Amino acid sequence: MTGSRPGWAKLRGCVVALAFCLAFPTLFPGSGVLNIALLTLMYVALASSWNILGGFAGYISLGVSAFFGIGAYSMGLILEHLIHMSGGYGPFALVPLAGLIAAVVAIPLGWVALRTRHAVFATATIAIMFVFQLLATNLSGITGGSAGLGYPVPTWTGDFYDKPFYYAMLVVAVVGVIIAWMVRRSGVGLGLLAIRDDEDKAEAIGVPTWSYKLVAFVLSAFVAGMVGAVYGYYTTYIYPQFVIDPLISIGAALMAFLGGSGTLVGPVLGALILEPAQLELGFHVNGQIYLILYGAVFLFVILLMPRGIVPSVGALIDSRRARRRGAPLAAPPPTQQPPTAEAVAR
Amino acid sequence: MIGASISQTGDFSSDGNFVKQAYQLWADQVNSQGGLLGRKVEMKFVNDASSTQQVVTNYQTLISSDHVNLVFGPFSSLLTIPSSEIASRYGYAFVEPAGGSQEVFTRGLHNVFEAEPQAGYKDMTVFGHWLLSLPAGQRPKTAAYVSEQDPFIGPEVEALKNVLQAGGVKTVYNQTYPIENPDYSPLALAIANTKADVAALGVNIPDGTAFTRDFIQQDYNPKAIIYANGPDQGTTWISKVGQNNLNGMTAPIAWLPQLNTYGNKQMVAGYLKKYGGNAAGMSGDVAEAYSVGQVIQQAAEAAHSVSNAALIKALHSMTFKTVQGNFAFNKLGEPTGSLFLGQWVNHKWVRVYPPAAAQAKPIYPKPAWGQG
Amino acid sequence: MNLSLLFGALVLGLLTGGVYGVMASGLALTFGVMRIINVGHAALVITGAFISYEVFRHLHLDPFAGLVITMPLMFLIGVVLEVLFIRPLKTDREELSVLVTWALALALEGVLGYFFGTDLVQTTVSYGNSTFVVGGVHIADVYIYGFLLAIAAMAALAALLYRTNLGAAIRATMLNRQAAQLIGIDVERVSAISFGIGAALAGVGGTVYGIVNAFNPDSHYDLIGHLLVIVVLGGVGSMRGAFLAALLIICIQDITQVMISPDWADLSFFVVLTIMLVVRPQGFFGVRVREAT
Repeated sequence: MTGSRPGWAKLRGCVVALAFCLAFPTLFPGSGVLNIALLTLMYVALASSWNILGGFAGYISLGVSAFFGIGAYSMGLILEHLIHMSGGYGPFALVPLAGLIAAVVAIPLGWVALRTRHAVFATATIAIMFVFQLLATNLSGITGGSAGLGYPVPTWTGDFYDKPFYYAMLVVAVVGVIIAWMVRRSGVGLGLLAIRDDEDKAEAIGVPTWSYKLVAFVLSAFVAGMVGAVYGYYTTYIYPQFVIDPLISIGAALMAFLGGSGTLVGPVLGALILEPAQLELGFHVNGQIYLILYGAVFLFVILLMPRGIVPSVGALIDSRRARRRGAPLAAPPPTQQPPTAEAVAR
Repeated sequence: MIGASISQTGDFSSDGNFVKQAYQLWADQVNSQGGLLGRKVEMKFVNDASSTQQVVTNYQTLISSDHVNLVFGPFSSLLTIPSSEIASRYGYAFVEPAGGSQEVFTRGLHNVFEAEPQAGYKDMTVFGHWLLSLPAGQRPKTAAYVSEQDPFIGPEVEALKNVLQAGGVKTVYNQTYPIENPDYSPLALAIANTKADVAALGVNIPDGTAFTRDFIQQDYNPKAIIYANGPDQGTTWISKVGQNNLNGMTAPIAWLPQLNTYGNKQMVAGYLKKYGGNAAGMSGDVAEAYSVGQVIQQAAEAAHSVSNAALIKALHSMTFKTVQGNFAFNKLGEPTGSLFLGQWVNHKWVRVYPPAAAQAKPIYPKPAWGQG
Repeated sequence: MNLSLLFGALVLGLLTGGVYGVMASGLALTFGVMRIINVGHAALVITGAFISYEVFRHLHLDPFAGLVITMPLMFLIGVVLEVLFIRPLKTDREELSVLVTWALALALEGVLGYFFGTDLVQTTVSYGNSTFVVGGVHIADVYIYGFLLAIAAMAALAALLYRTNLGAAIRATMLNRQAAQLIGIDVERVSAISFGIGAALAGVGGTVYGIVNAFNPDSHYDLIGHLLVIVVLGGVGSMRGAFLAALLIICIQDITQVMISPDWADLSFFVVLTIMLVVRPQGFFGVRVREAT
């Protein structure tokens, strides 16, 4: 893994992918397709941001939905009470603000939740999610409670409607991936990976584990908040139990795992595969079978490809390359240990 | 081709199932009589798992990818609101069976129509009117209100409370609870403790049965009791609360299997033939969904067209005859009829108020549990 | 302040708490032995409820008596699930377990829905409405039976853990998995058995749950949040802790529900959790766990 050649190839790959995404709505203008593409991008963003804490540091957070919801509600409430804008392009400017609000809320929450270790942490994040769902429902004077909250509705017509939202979601997704990339390149990223390897050792060598985890948690929340804001605006009407939904967190986590948690491309790949599949499946398959299949796919992914597609495929390619070069086969692919910092930097 | 998103799994699954049955029944019956304006009706159902995310995708796909000619609405206000927006964007008429919360009608859309005699959120007021119509000496003095935090049911109970309070009935208990609440006993305990004359429950079947059993256990016998849903759901309800406790229970109703409303005999016979069971056990959801089909059919026949624009125009201007009675829609798409109060009298589920439409005299006070 | 109402809420809370305690202790056991969080535990509870419901309907056995069928069946289900889906997890067990068990929960929900449909059902026993009076308040008999059952189950669990060889092996594995392996304990077998016991306990809880509440395959969503919070509160590996935490928290919830309002009752659950996490993250009886590799 040397040299700048892989670096250039990757950059080229990113540019091509981005160009494709930008051209997508013109290539495939049907709004049904755009809707699926939009939701897929949503999960690209969510999975990538989840990955910052969940994949790099190994801390499974199921609180993503809470911040998604906070973003959605923030945007809706601002539009309802503070800044009256009519539907259109204007409200998009508020999206980063919604993300910021979510991030700010994440600070004290992370403060408390990160006092625990792995398994308990997951539970704490589940609790955070339920609390916000309750707050959203009970503070009905502000949030509209279970009657939900409405957004101003843009007057774009049928087929055009999805396009601005598609681009907005694309922007958020790109931002999410870039943030994940920047974290991984930085000292914080290495620290997180070290935490994943062995937290006590990391602490012992002076890694400020708690701060790093908090940074990851907050950044994750920031992206999730922005995604939530765009989504809320897209559906024009939000309810507590649908915007703050455990399935959103689980979905993001699953996609990151499928693609390869701890890598950059992994979550993106996972989202690209799973979200359209899920939507299509839901559309065509009877309810109970859908659940069984969903669970089965889940199990399949986790049991057979615990490292996810990208690392597994990567390892396969590596071992093939080694064999072709005639080099003695290296030690069996490191599937028994969590990926170290270098192995992950592909 | 007509598309509809059905909640086959998730919170609304049992109602969703009834809606699907009714839509399909209607389609079969229309086809057997020559179709809609001579065209065969083909229903396309997709599952939304009671999720707003999926329902949005579903209707978008149905309209823009599958190019269905018409759409029918899903079950519940929660799902109706986002999907009605999509239908509106494409100019599709959106007739729906069960989205009755106020927000459904105040979004500034022109294509939404709830196929029920009265907008859902006003349902329970008929109970209040009945109680206030009793002679002064008999009228109840106190009332306890409890309800789910549901955008549909919550306002129903609120509206009822306003009616009764204005009529001088004192509110001694008024609480709402989150839908996920698994344990109602403490609430029932608190209500029973107030010994209120009237108990108004904004509930669905699971919480309704739970409260009933707790009231029975606490030996709390209100003089009158109303449920937002439950007593009207046929065998599902009876099997859970027991035959001996039925008399006196009330719920708002729009429909009864034995009514002589338009198409009702045909619907009931067709339903029993296709799906089995008995008439008394049929759920009100079936009638609501079936009415959607009837409304569309009549609008199409009047407009001589199945284009959505023509239908919307017709929907705004006509009066419709359905299994739930006759009604029209106002500018907002709210139905302009009114509901009746149903009550179990002598182990029969009948209409008791308003008196003009009543099939039996209402019971007051409610017999003690186990004796009716 | 209405004392008899308060008293009633307290009694109700204790009795219901006991049942939740049994469910939660199964969860705690699983974590203690295998270091995994089984978010599918509530789905197992509901499975138990359905099994006892079917036993009641078809064999006309009182659900309490029907436990002789329900419990072993649940145990078997637990063991099978563990062997098939959890044992293969070699790496990152703790994190992946959350996802795997969630997938199992979904699949279980689908299977239950497929066979039993999504209509709400309830195991309505004939004595379901009879009550006894204490302190001026009516309490349903079934709550008492449920509580007694819970106590019996916990006692049986304690006996198993402290008086049998199997129990010793389980406790050793809970203390230190690697060391247990070194002294010759077949930790894989112990894990499977513990998971099975956890499932059986879930089944016991489910049986009572099914008598008192209406349920359908969907019901596990509401339940799992409560169970997880209880276990964290009690200290993730401690069954004793789980039981006591359940009693405490359900009491608080019920009293809040009656004296203040139902909205804040649900919230009180999580407020208590937050306080706990700030003050004592390891829970009542938990021990600061050194990360096992």
